[in-house]
Amino acid sequence: MKDIVCAYDSSTSADKAFDFALDLAVHYGATLRVLSVAQPPEPPSMVETREMLEEYEAQYRESFSALEERARGRGVEPHFLVRAGHPAEQIVRYAEEVEADVIILGHRGQSRSFVDRWLVGSISKRVLTYAHCTVIVVR
Amino acid sequence: MTAIWAVAALWLALALLATLLSRWLRVATALSEIVVGVVAQLILGAALGGAVLSADESWVKFLAGAGAIVLTFLAGAELDPGVLRASWKATAVIGLAGFIAPFLGCTAAAYFILHWSVQASWLAGVALSTTSVAVVYAVMLELGLNVTEYGKAVLAACFVNDLATVIALGLIFSPFTVHTLVFVVVSLVVFAVLPWLTPRFFHRYGDRPSELEAKYILLLLFGLGALASWADSEPVLPAYLIGMVLAGTVGRDHVLVRRLRTLTFGLLTPFYFIRAGSFVSLGALAAAPFVFLVLFAAKMVSKSLGVYPATLVFRYPRMERAYTTLLMSTGLTFGSISALFGLTHGVITQAQYSYLIAAVIGSAVIPTLIANMFYLPRHLIPRGREPVAAGIVSAAIGEPQGEESL
Repeated sequence: MKDIVCAYDSSTSADKAFDFALDLAVHYGATLRVLSVAQPPEPPSMVETREMLEEYEAQYRESFSALEERARGRGVEPHFLVRAGHPAEQIVRYAEEVEADVIILGHRGQSRSFVDRWLVGSISKRVLTYAHCTVIVVR
Repeated sequence: MTAIWAVAALWLALALLATLLSRWLRVATALSEIVVGVVAQLILGAALGGAVLSADESWVKFLAGAGAIVLTFLAGAELDPGVLRASWKATAVIGLAGFIAPFLGCTAAAYFILHWSVQASWLAGVALSTTSVAVVYAVMLELGLNVTEYGKAVLAACFVNDLATVIALGLIFSPFTVHTLVFVVVSLVVFAVLPWLTPRFFHRYGDRPSELEAKYILLLLFGLGALASWADSEPVLPAYLIGMVLAGTVGRDHVLVRRLRTLTFGLLTPFYFIRAGSFVSLGALAAAPFVFLVLFAAKMVSKSLGVYPATLVFRYPRMERAYTTLLMSTGLTFGSISALFGLTHGVITQAQYSYLIAAVIGSAVIPTLIANMFYLPRHLIPRGREPVAAGIVSAAIGEPQGEESL
């Protein structure tokens, strides 16, 4: 195992997924990539979309510095990235681009209501269905 | 003043409710506010009387109008002027094609199928000709095309499309008097001077707690807005153009833009969109749903006729062609601004306004839902490759599951 992609959305579940990914990265000496996805509102509307994406990015950058510290404590230098779009789509796409061996994500992300899941679908289910590589869903 | 404070509190309660709904449902706040406006007028109007929201009070009109103006300015300021200059030919062709096809198509549908008046039909053409820059921007980001020449050209084309819409709205219904001439000449002079004057003025006097920059921008917007209104034009026309000419300077000042966004979303646009929703007559919509369907279909078909060939020219893959065409067929803000202009200037009736708003909302929501249901994420998977189901490992920390745990 050389390349691990960990999907991160600041939720408790994502935190567990990150710890699990970090364990694997240490164990296999693999590259750890942390991906966060900023999801615009539907349908995207003028000005608000850019505002929301900037806010997401600022929020994730803040979370990343804490994750970086945890990873460095165990001798791992993770790569961090924020992308925009539908989470499942971006996770699958990024994993394909970097030819990841495994995608790790939390079972349930932050503030995903029933309506949200109905509209967008379960992110983990979509990633499980369409990923080119092994997927680990951390509970 | 007690009544004004009470009504203001009611509007902000509705705005807060709309924001919560938009957060829970992950939909655009503008859409949520329009729907809350429709429902609030229906329920509160039936319970407490039709004038409970006081949507025609002058202070409500001012806040709503200021919301449309500042929002349009911010939308114009999002333009990347370098891209417009670099590929202006392709941008102009695609942008104008994306405007002209639905503009003429929807006007023809309103006139020949729905038998609306000439003026009302033109207004339908304008309201349904927009392309949502925000939707295309989001799609380009998702596909990673925002940094490519193609992505930048299409994004700039959307600005051209919306600019054509705003110019059409500002000039088609103007009576072309001396006032119009004065408005056009003064605007052109201001647009020419602003990119030179503004950065120098800000450099010398700005960056102080008194928020000189915000006052300067609002002065320009309200000043030219007043001139546009005096010429019987639409104040969002100069606002969009001021945004575009200042995109390279003010548009890059993130602190100022964020302050203006806070003012806009926190106070002004809720009044605009809730007010726009409160004028919708659900009775008229229920009485003649066919009208909505004709307008909606006209927009979808004519927009596709304009956009799809453009994606062919750029040799976009088949699935992305369909996806981009669907998403470029959306439009919310300029569509509702145009429809409200028509209603408040007596160009269309309340029933026609309701059909137009329904078609605008339909065009914002339905293509996005279709695109998400049928195109995501399959369009990213190379042809011939089946989704991988085997090899999936589901692990639970603390709950080892035999050979599946690691």
